[in-house]
Amino acid sequence: MNAPQGADAPAPTGWRWPGSLRLRLLGATLVTLALALTGAHGWLSGLFRDHVLRQFDAALVLQLDQLTARLEFDAQGQPLIDPRRLSDPRLDKPYSGLYWQLDQVSPDGQTRRGVLRSRSLWDAQLALDPDPLADGGLHTHDSTGPQGDALRIVERSLQVPEQPQARWRLMVAADTRAALAAADDFNGVLAASLAGLGLLLALAALAQVAVGLSPLKGMQRALLQVREGRTARLQGRFPTEVQPLIDDFNGVLDRHAEVVARARTQAGNLAHALKTPLAVLGNAAAQAPQSGLAPLVAEQVQVAQRHIHWHLARARVAASQGLPGQRTPLAPLLAGLLRVMDKLHAGRGLDLSTGEPAADAAFAGEEQDLQEMLGNLLDNACRSARGAVRVSARQEGRQLHITVDDDGPGIAPEQRAAVLQRGVRLDESTPGSGLGLAIVVELAQLYGGALTLDTSDLGGLSARLSLPAAA
Amino acid sequence: MRILLVEDEPTLRAQLRTALAEAGYAVDEADNGRDAHFLGDTEAFDAVVLDLGLPVLDGLSVLKRWRDAGRALPVLILTARDNWSEKVAGIDAGADDYLTKPFHMEELLARLRGLIRRANGQASPVLQCGELALDTRSGRVTLAGQPVTLTSHEFKVLDYLMHRPGAVVSRTELTEHIYAQDFDRDSNTIEVFVGRLRKKLPAELIETVRGLGYRLVAP
Repeated sequence: MNAPQGADAPAPTGWRWPGSLRLRLLGATLVTLALALTGAHGWLSGLFRDHVLRQFDAALVLQLDQLTARLEFDAQGQPLIDPRRLSDPRLDKPYSGLYWQLDQVSPDGQTRRGVLRSRSLWDAQLALDPDPLADGGLHTHDSTGPQGDALRIVERSLQVPEQPQARWRLMVAADTRAALAAADDFNGVLAASLAGLGLLLALAALAQVAVGLSPLKGMQRALLQVREGRTARLQGRFPTEVQPLIDDFNGVLDRHAEVVARARTQAGNLAHALKTPLAVLGNAAAQAPQSGLAPLVAEQVQVAQRHIHWHLARARVAASQGLPGQRTPLAPLLAGLLRVMDKLHAGRGLDLSTGEPAADAAFAGEEQDLQEMLGNLLDNACRSARGAVRVSARQEGRQLHITVDDDGPGIAPEQRAAVLQRGVRLDESTPGSGLGLAIVVELAQLYGGALTLDTSDLGGLSARLSLPAAA
Repeated sequence: MRILLVEDEPTLRAQLRTALAEAGYAVDEADNGRDAHFLGDTEAFDAVVLDLGLPVLDGLSVLKRWRDAGRALPVLILTARDNWSEKVAGIDAGADDYLTKPFHMEELLARLRGLIRRANGQASPVLQCGELALDTRSGRVTLAGQPVTLTSHEFKVLDYLMHRPGAVVSRTELTEHIYAQDFDRDSNTIEVFVGRLRKKLPAELIETVRGLGYRLVAP
C-alpha cells in the first residue's frame, strides 16, 4: 500500500540539477555559443592582421621598387642612389621608422654591410643573415631596429652587368608597431562586439528554453489537478510533440479506472452469488432447531457471512487505492444516506439532524468509499441512539471532519480501541457483522484519514471521521 | 394481510413462503420481474418482499414502474447487495425498507410487521381499540387484559380491521387481503368469520355498514 499522498507531499519546485532539462539545454547552448564566438573572434582578428601585414608588405615592395629604379653605378663601379630623388620624407628623418640599406656580397661570401643607406638610419645598420637569394628574388624578414622597433624588412638580391662577380642586397625596412597597434584596436572592438552579440544570443537562448519548456509546466499543473482530485484526466491542449504522451497517460488513467470498476463488480458478483445460498442454509438451520446439525450450520453461516462482508469490503478498499481524480461533494451524499436511515430505522422515531452544513465541502476520494464509511457510522449511531442522531461536517484547510453523534449508551473509553478491530461487536443482540467500524478505519487510513471515538455532548458516542478534502 | 413474495431462488422462496404463512400472511409469489410487476399492478397487497436480482426485469425497475404508476404499496427490498450506494438507490427508487442477505427470518418478519403498521398509520406494535388489544409481534389478542382465543382466519379478519380502526372495509377488500390469489375465494365465508368474532368479542365492536362493509368502532 502506498503512503498517502496528502498535504505533506513535497511541493513541486523549480528545475534542479542534475536532472534539469533547462540547465542541460542552457548549458549546451551557452557552451556552443562561447566556442563559436571565440572561434569567430580568432579567425576574424587573424584575417585582419594578415590583411594589415599584406598592405604593409605591399607598401614596402613599392618603396623597394622605387629604390631599385634609382640605383645606379658610376664609372668605378660604385653604387649610387640620389636621396633627393626619393619621395618619402621619413627616409631623411633620423630613426623615423622607415629605412633602406644596400649590402654587397662578394663572390667568396663576404658581406660588406651598409655600402649605401638611408639618412634615417643615422649611425646604425640593418643586420641580415646571409641569404642565398636568386637574382631579382624578393624575401621578407622580421628583425629588431636601431631603436628597438619591430622591423619588417623586404630585400631584393641584384646582380648588375657592370660587376658580374658581385651580388647586391637592397633592402627596405619599416616599423610595424603602429600598424599592429591598429590591428589590436580592431581586436578590442571586435571582442566587445562579439561579447555583446553573445549576451543577446544567451538571452535569446534563455527565452527559447523558457518558451520551449513551458508545456512541461502545463503538464505539471494538469497532473497536480489530477492528483488533487479536481479532474480524472489530464486536461488542456499541448504541443504536438507532447500530446501523444498526454493521450497515452490519459489512456493509462482510463484503463486504471476500468480495471478498478471491473474488480469491484467481480468481487460484488461473487459475494452476492454466495449470499443467497447462505441465506437458504441459515433459514433451514433456523427452521429445524431439533436437528443436531442446526447449531453448527447457523454458526458457520455466520462465519462465512463475516468473511464475505470483510473481504468484499477489502476488495473495495484495494480497488479504490490511489485512484486519482476523485471529488465527492458531501451534501448530496449525506442527504441520500439520511433518506435511507429514515426508512431503515423508521419505527424508532429518531430525530436525525445535520449540524451547520458545509455547503461546498467535498471529499478527495471515491463516492462509494465515503458512502461506505458514513453509512456504517450513521447506521451504528441509529442502532444505538435512544432518540437523536446528529451529523455535522466541517472543512479545515485540506481536511474534512465529519462527526456523527448519538444519545445512546456510548462506548466506554477502554473499549473504544477494541471495537475498531475486525469482528468485535459489543452488543451481540443487535444484528450486524461487527465489521462496520473496522472497515471505516481501514478505508479512512487508505485516504490518510482517521476515525476517532469520543463521548458525545448528546450523551452517547461521538465518531469523528477525518478525511482529505477536495479543493 | 396479503404479501407479494418476489424471489427467484426456489429454495429460499419456499422457506420465505413457509415462514410468512406461519406468521399468518396470505402469500402470493413471483419468480421474475415481469410477473411481479403484473401482480403488484393488478392485485391488492399489504406489503411486498422484493429481491433485486431478478430474471426478465430487475427488482429496481419493477419498483420504479409501480411508483411511476402511483402504486403506494409498502415494499421491503431483500437482496444480497449491501453497498450503501445500492441501499440509497433502492430507497430512492421508492422502497420502504431494505434488508440484506443472509438475514434472520425473525428480523424480516419484524420489519414486515412494522412496515404494514406504519403504512396504516399505526405507530405502536400493540394495536388498541377500546379494551381490545392486538400485539402484532406475538399475535396475541386480549380483551381487558384477558386472552382471547381466535382461529387463524378469525385473527386475519380482526388483524386487518384493527390496522384500520374507524374505516369502512368492504367484504371484497377483506377477501382480497386475507386470501392469496389462487385461493378459492368466497366472500360469504367473511360473514361467517365476522359472526364468530362478534360472539367472542363485544358484539357492537364490529359494526355493519349496510351495503358497504364493516367498521371497527371503539365502544
